[in-house]
Amino acid sequence: MTKPAVVLIGGDKGGVGKTTVARTLLDYFAHQQLRVRAFDTEAPRGTLKRFHPDVTDVLDINHVPDQMRIFDTVNSTDAAVTLIDVRAGLLSPTLRALRNIGFIEAAKKGEITFVLFHILGPSIASLDEIVDTAAYLGDAKYFLVKNFINNTYFFEWDEATTAAYFKRIPDAVEITIPKLAEMAAEQVDLASVPFANFMANKKQGGASASYSFVLRGYVRHWLETIWAEYDRVGLTDTMEARTMEAREFPGPPIGRPRPIIKIAET
Amino acid sequence: MTDKTTPLYVVCSPCRGVGKTLVSRLLAEFYVVNDRPVAAFDLADEGPQLTDYLPGITTVADIADTRGQMTFFDRLIANDVGARIIDLSHRVFKNFFTVVQEIRFFEEARRRSIEPLVLFIIDPDPKSAKAYGVLRQFSQASLLPVRNQIKTDAIPHGVARPNANIVPTSLDIPLLTFPLRALVDRQSFSFSRPRGTSPADLPVLLKDELSGWVERVFFQFHTLELLLGCA
Repeated sequence: MTKPAVVLIGGDKGGVGKTTVARTLLDYFAHQQLRVRAFDTEAPRGTLKRFHPDVTDVLDINHVPDQMRIFDTVNSTDAAVTLIDVRAGLLSPTLRALRNIGFIEAAKKGEITFVLFHILGPSIASLDEIVDTAAYLGDAKYFLVKNFINNTYFFEWDEATTAAYFKRIPDAVEITIPKLAEMAAEQVDLASVPFANFMANKKQGGASASYSFVLRGYVRHWLETIWAEYDRVGLTDTMEARTMEAREFPGPPIGRPRPIIKIAET
Repeated sequence: MTDKTTPLYVVCSPCRGVGKTLVSRLLAEFYVVNDRPVAAFDLADEGPQLTDYLPGITTVADIADTRGQMTFFDRLIANDVGARIIDLSHRVFKNFFTVVQEIRFFEEARRRSIEPLVLFIIDPDPKSAKAYGVLRQFSQASLLPVRNQIKTDAIPHGVARPNANIVPTSLDIPLLTFPLRALVDRQSFSFSRPRGTSPADLPVLLKDELSGWVERVFFQFHTLELLLGCA
């Protein structure tokens, strides 16, 4: 049996793009043929569920029965990855709860792979969050995500201050999420589909759509840049198991060879 | 989606005043004279521009923002427009190819049986050589240099490597005598109706020169179409 993985996406500040990062991760895992289940902690109505309804449940992570729904089933579910989109302000309480139920200890013993995506805000408070968060992590894989999709500028992060904080958590790995053209982000939002569906011109459920080719191109370029970041940090190696059936993605190859026109040297 | 392959010509150079609009006009009128569907797109921002010469078949486009890009590129890959010709201003050159690369436009075009051919007007300016080198990396589009000999500073014949086979190494716009250059520059002039638009008192020699010149250019367009699989 393969080791289950739990991916937590959080950040104590609101509006830093946690759900956007969660959506890119769900698309990435699907592309990597990893079976995944997701939990959206924005009860009662979850944004993540709107985009990925088939794999997402909405719950209240402060609620003990809901904690049981997630963590008591980590080993028994057929999903290789359990992804949790933690609501703004709940990252530290969630990590505390995980420690209290023995989850962090289980990760330390190597029974579970624990990965944290900490989505950073532009202010120095984010650096304090990092230190607070790191205290709970144990052997978790800790990714610090600078998310530029919301036009964020990390203006308060002077080099010396940042280095002082990062020295305390040497194992943290930085990931950068680039900006997506605003109109493309809006259109995907309106369509309420995964980024990968938008790219492939498909509605929720797989029916053919008629999204703008230009916007699909921008989304594809943006998503592939992010996936390259996930590849760079070895995310799939962390996850270990591959359990899903192969899935064709995202479009047919071009079968026709390009005509040969001799090019002169200029 | 149609099975027939249609061409998409991008007439471009990073330099101004090298004859992009002239080549675009010639191409567009090649289709008009053969009574075949054609749509021209004018990405120039200074006159006289393609739309001044061929207002009936030319759409003015602006790709400075995402909305403009959607209007332009989504229209460009629509199924019903026949041959497509883009007259690309030197000012838009970089942005156009950046967007094309980012949204993988040429790949999508080829998926839809549209065959892209970049017609690059060569020029001694160093930025021309540099841009040409960059365009050679666009693997999903054919790239062909255009020698516009009407421009006195154009790179002359003989610069290209000797080539014994029939595949063209460049598109050549031959020299044209001064009075004819002035004539074809008139906005009322049409290559597809030269007799109707040229002055009645144009000497026979000049008329013959003009029609021979147009025929030479159109013959090369026809060869290109065959090579692209669009004839």
